Amino acid sequence: MRIPWVWIVLSLAVCSGCRATADVGRPASSVWFDERAHDSGLTFVHANGMSGRFYFHEIMGPGAALIDYDNDGDLDVFLVQGKGESRLYRNDLAVQPDGSRTLRFTDVTTQSGIRTTEYGMGVATGDFDNDGCVDLYLTNVGRNQLYRNNCDGTFSDVSRQSGTDGGLASPKLARDPSASGGGWSVSAAFVDYDRDGWLDLFVGHYVSYSVEKNTPCFSLSGRPDYCSPNAYRPEQNRLYHNNHDGTFTDVTTTAGLAGNFGPTLGVVADDFDGDGWVDLYVANDGRENQLWINQHDGTFRNAGLLSGTAVTVDARATGSMGVDAADVDGDGADDVLVTTLTGEGTSLFLRRGPAAFDDAGTRSGIRALSLGATGFGVHTLDADNDGRLDVLSVNGAVRTIESLALAGDRFPFSQRAHLLHNAGGGRFEDVSERAGPAFKLLDVGRGAAFGDIDNDGDTDVVVAGNNGPVRLLINEAGNRKHWVGLRLLTGVRSVRLKADDRPAEAGHYVRKCDAIGAHVEIIREGSPALVRRAATDGSYASASDPRVLAGLGDNSTPPSVRVMWPDGHVERWPAVPIDRYTTLEEGTGR
Amino acid sequence: MTPRQAVVVAFASVAIGCSFKAPAAAPALRPIVMPDLSSVAESVREQARARESALTRTMGSAQATASDRAAAYGEFGKLLLAAEYGDAAETCFANAELLVPDDMRWPYYRGHAYRKTAQPAKAEAAFERALMRQPGNLAAMYWLGETRLDQGRTDAAASVFEQALAIDPRSTSILSGLGHVDLARNDFASAAARFEQALAIDPGATFIHYPLAMAYRGLGNLAKAEAELRQPRAPATSPVDPLMQDVARLLDSAMAYQSRGIDALRRNDAASAAGFFRRATELDPSSASLHHRLGTALFLSGDASGATREFEEALRLSPQLARAHYSLGVILASRRRSAAAIAHFTAAVRAEPDYLEARLALADVLRGLGRAREAMPHYEEVLHRHPDVADAELGYAMSLVILGRRDEARVRFLAGARQHPDRPEFSDALSHLSTGSDTR
Repeated sequence: MRIPWVWIVLSLAVCSGCRATADVGRPASSVWFDERAHDSGLTFVHANGMSGRFYFHEIMGPGAALIDYDNDGDLDVFLVQGKGESRLYRNDLAVQPDGSRTLRFTDVTTQSGIRTTEYGMGVATGDFDNDGCVDLYLTNVGRNQLYRNNCDGTFSDVSRQSGTDGGLASPKLARDPSASGGGWSVSAAFVDYDRDGWLDLFVGHYVSYSVEKNTPCFSLSGRPDYCSPNAYRPEQNRLYHNNHDGTFTDVTTTAGLAGNFGPTLGVVADDFDGDGWVDLYVANDGRENQLWINQHDGTFRNAGLLSGTAVTVDARATGSMGVDAADVDGDGADDVLVTTLTGEGTSLFLRRGPAAFDDAGTRSGIRALSLGATGFGVHTLDADNDGRLDVLSVNGAVRTIESLALAGDRFPFSQRAHLLHNAGGGRFEDVSERAGPAFKLLDVGRGAAFGDIDNDGDTDVVVAGNNGPVRLLINEAGNRKHWVGLRLLTGVRSVRLKADDRPAEAGHYVRKCDAIGAHVEIIREGSPALVRRAATDGSYASASDPRVLAGLGDNSTPPSVRVMWPDGHVERWPAVPIDRYTTLEEGTGR
Repeated sequence: MTPRQAVVVAFASVAIGCSFKAPAAAPALRPIVMPDLSSVAESVREQARARESALTRTMGSAQATASDRAAAYGEFGKLLLAAEYGDAAETCFANAELLVPDDMRWPYYRGHAYRKTAQPAKAEAAFERALMRQPGNLAAMYWLGETRLDQGRTDAAASVFEQALAIDPRSTSILSGLGHVDLARNDFASAAARFEQALAIDPGATFIHYPLAMAYRGLGNLAKAEAELRQPRAPATSPVDPLMQDVARLLDSAMAYQSRGIDALRRNDAASAAGFFRRATELDPSSASLHHRLGTALFLSGDASGATREFEEALRLSPQLARAHYSLGVILASRRRSAAAIAHFTAAVRAEPDYLEARLALADVLRGLGRAREAMPHYEEVLHRHPDVADAELGYAMSLVILGRRDEARVRFLAGARQHPDRPEFSDALSHLSTGSDTR
């Protein structure tokens, strides 16, 4: 049964006194993150179906999603499986009167109706039908799946009727069964690119590949190993326009995206030129990345090269995997972060003007600190809530690591995750060593989903490893500082009638959905304003918490908040409470 | 560690580091932890065995000098470096450096081993030691600068690049390095000047166009930036580096020869590429992909018959290899063996439905035979996926002419002429259409 608006009530109730919890209910810990997957019931283990034949797809998944599918105010976890079925875990978070909390997850896959049928890669989340319940889009090797949330704890597979399952054939050749296999996609993003109040869908496709077409690949010395994407031709990305009736239309060609694509692994949607319209940044593996600038007419123009984000400053197309967009340098404009292969180093592109970025990977230290790892899932989070965005990446090689192979590791690709602390002044420092034992774990990191899983005011992480157990990194450091938490709800039109719907016009009903793509300016007394984005996209093959969580450091003055909604209009709220979550509804500000 | 590896390590420790009678003041050599070579190519295993044996012999020889021993370690290290075993290679070079501290090669190679294993701070120290042994070595100066730049140490990088430039003022690599230092400092004017200077010295240094574009963009000169972005781009090159060239030529494996062949093709040296690919196929005759590459290089160097043989061999090994079907189709079409060409192009698009080049070629051959009705869906498919492909637009319009649908063709030619002003075929075809002459 769906419980309308319970989220807001619970979030306020659950989170009031969170700061007290951190101070009183939990002993001060020296570690930043504590790994608690198994203890909390997240017992999922990814199986890549490793054959010994180095099939390319084995090494690329999986992703994870944080999704409040039951609207009970806490983030549930969806974990993508390779060989086998993906799983949905309900978060049964319990908060004691003293503010201490117990995390417990229950596998609810069977009752949810989710039955994954293909080899899973990633997941995107968004309320595509505007019914107030978040839906799931699953990317696969093969046809993709769209699961509509029925708002009663169950999902329905609407892949085929929605038109988003990824068949690649044009209508002219649709009768050719070999031309409609769905392809291979990894990262996807729900994005309202035409500002019509309905989430459209971008799906990043990787390479033209199937097990039948597998190409054996070798190292220079002739040792069998996983392929690079160069062994295959890239596959065309897809943009689906939401028809407002539960179906989508493939507008890849008319949007101008058809003729230019690489092997895509990451995507993030954000306004990169400051015109208020959402653009798309697409990370390609070994080819130029793309910055698709929204032309406001349903089309996009690739400004990647001129923007400075297509390649590194020395013109190298890196093996780009994970991606995030956030205001890393605190200048009010979102920057771009891209994880890459070992020896390349993570790219940090700082925005210096409309669709113009400087490659600051070297200057910031991020590149040097990440040279030793192959980065996948990545996010800019304020791990210690000091008001500056840090960087957390999960890592895992794609070519055999000799030292691990020598030690008898049957899957010698594992690497440690990195936590890079924003030290200010545009520089980052590696704090992984003191971030907790979780950062000493060797995993083949791939997807990572970020969000406040225990609703205590700091950002936690679900790490989806390849061929290994899921990790749940609970942040123990953030809420020692002040913070402000926001859920942004925008009024949207829905086609689905619910008991509490307010009629808006014939056939449509106004509902409230997460304002994906909204920007928030948190105006602090005596400190620079913070700009944050409400989003679920980015990272790698994963979907994160759409709420905005901003660290305030030691500043205990309630900030005022300015929201730029996805349709471009702006509202203000004075003195938003700190150390708790507050829901801001579109139309209720000034 | 597997039993074999343990044995090898023990063997290496005993034979290399411990058992021979070392001079009293001999440095403490590190045992080599041998990588697992069980799955590498047999030819590489033989190379490794040979160098390992040579090392063992040298270390056990009472007549061997420190220099001999260092060289034996160094040769083994170079092979391991070429084979991408950076850790083991580093140990070899470390031992070589311990044995003959004055030889710049060993810290230099060690620096590269550290770079391969993403340890820039150690690489920097190694390159510094190499330069102490041989001041003025441009390659070492370049890599020291690059390694410092990797770590964000722009002042230190600039210092070594400036020293290098004083030695060779016409080095495009060094000028480019200095330009990158300027870019990292947001000194766009200086960066643009450096890059322009490098391009003036060597207009073929196309790797400079992109950073130059970034410099102009930083200066606000978007027109110049866009002009630079329209130029061809190639990967950056280092100064002439005989030591690393030696490593690059070392490995005797099919994949290594393939890599050299690909590099040769990038340099438009098809004859050399064919030589490399041929050696690769000798080492791995079962690789359809290698036969296809050899066929491509042969075709580009003018040997169509040899190319045909290689493509056919590729298809014998891998009947679904779309690239080989396409390549063979191209040769057959050029010999006007249309039916056979159609068969291969069809096989290519059946294997890979989004293989646009093959689909376009199939459509063109069908149209050339007057089978416009069969060609058109393929043109449409290409245009559906890639609306900017002028050849598909042109072929589609010409197919309309063949079918007598001249008004529709005119519309398509007009649209094509507007969309592709750089393709005079559209307006030519329109003229022919107006005069009633044959446009096909």
